[in-house]
Amino acid sequence: MATRRTFLKLTAAASLAAPSIASAQASGRVVVVGGGFGGATAARTLKVLEPKLTVTLVEPNPVFTACPFSNNVLAALREISQQQFGYDGVQKTGVVLAQTAATAVDASGKTVTLTDGSKLPYDRLVLSPGIDINWGALPGYDEAAAEKMPHAWKAGAQTVLLRQQLQAMDDGGLVVISSPANPFRCPPGPYERASLIAYWLKIWKPKSKLLILDSKDAFSKQRLFQNAWAQLYPGLIEWVSLSQGGKVTAVDPATLTVVTDFARHKAAVANIIPPQKAGTIAQKAGVADRTGWCPVEPVAFESTLQPGIHVVGDSAIMGGMPKSAFAANAQAKVCAGAIVELLAGRKPVDPILINTCYSLVAPDYGISVAGVYRPDKGVLADIPGAGGTSPLEVVGGFRGQEALFASSWFKTITTEVFG
Amino acid sequence: MRHRLLLPALASALLLASSLAGGPVRAADAGPPGASSCTGCHAAKRIPDSVIPRIAGRKASDIVQFMREYRSGAWPSSVMGRIAKGFDDQQIDAIAAWFAAQPE
Repeated sequence: MATRRTFLKLTAAASLAAPSIASAQASGRVVVVGGGFGGATAARTLKVLEPKLTVTLVEPNPVFTACPFSNNVLAALREISQQQFGYDGVQKTGVVLAQTAATAVDASGKTVTLTDGSKLPYDRLVLSPGIDINWGALPGYDEAAAEKMPHAWKAGAQTVLLRQQLQAMDDGGLVVISSPANPFRCPPGPYERASLIAYWLKIWKPKSKLLILDSKDAFSKQRLFQNAWAQLYPGLIEWVSLSQGGKVTAVDPATLTVVTDFARHKAAVANIIPPQKAGTIAQKAGVADRTGWCPVEPVAFESTLQPGIHVVGDSAIMGGMPKSAFAANAQAKVCAGAIVELLAGRKPVDPILINTCYSLVAPDYGISVAGVYRPDKGVLADIPGAGGTSPLEVVGGFRGQEALFASSWFKTITTEVFG
Repeated sequence: MRHRLLLPALASALLLASSLAGGPVRAADAGPPGASSCTGCHAAKRIPDSVIPRIAGRKASDIVQFMREYRSGAWPSSVMGRIAKGFDDQQIDAIAAWFAAQPE
């Protein structure tokens, strides 16, 4: 929460920057809301590219808990503390940290309202609020239900809760994962989660079963996952697609029952990955459309609904790019560069962006998907011929190498963003 | 998998590239299209225990050769072949020159 001291610090920082907007060099005030992979990257990149900018990062949590590799926490391969990163590194770049929440945005007056009611003026605003759970979209699933049937789709207490439930479960229990329709955060995530929980069950609770109830007929890296499941966890994981009646239509947290049109599944542990939408501040700022997500142009990721507000990361509609930490980081760097150009009165050039997502099917078995993207007809489009998934047939230590690349990537990106 | 990029870069090439990249005083340069995405895996700083090679400060000609061989499949890779196919020669040259000019 904002203390009087942070407020005074912010006001002082803002007033220092105010007179220099008209200069030829890029200068001015940029506010970034959300301290995840997108927001923290945007804030520090802005400051590195143009030290004259006053950059304020608005983030209420003193510590960020990363989602990538949080499935390893469920399988007791990591501890939640290894997912956690503070903002000292970001602040050392000269970014002003406002440890409070943004409660409103005035797009025409160009101010962000903070929890204490104070207003933070900006020349450009970057919103990177990530996802919020779309409470009410799945009958029976509300905040109280999430304490019985965790989503664990925002890493932290929910991740720890799901791990505790798995550890407390009797051998022979049924674990149910409900996977939502597109779009949602981390498209391969539910299937990596199923894989690593299966890895853990096979060792510790081998009579147990895992059922994935899906609201889709296809999913990211599907053949790679399914081949690996058949090889590593035969008979343990069952995937029920949309057309097979997999769509979860309601849940009953009191009895841990997961309901589809065709069956009622009584779970020992139920992980409900629910429908999602852009973080609440995006709705309040008027940058989210009827889908619940934020349309942006593909060069500087400026909202097509509210000028002066840029949106990066999971909350934005980024054409072909999936909602991933890698993508949020890549978008934030492009966005920061474009904002420096815009503030200096120059036109940003068309960017190229890369996404790479690794998933672990077992601790030493990694698979990946990659894509390369550029603006095309107003959206970020896949560059034809580039990208794709790991090969289905490999020799030697290929999967092990990709598992090593995955952990190296996590160390690298968290150092780049928070280090 | 072997990584020829682990060869040490020549300090003289680094200095030359830095001086060519001079010009108006800016703290840092965002780089040509595509370059900023690379640092998500190829770190600016040294990362303990990372198996992903750093490319900052490497010889531009080495980076160019690698990207072309990844793209053609002449040099085997896991993810780099799929990524390199998204870039043409000119884009690869620009990215390589930018990384060569970064501190090793």
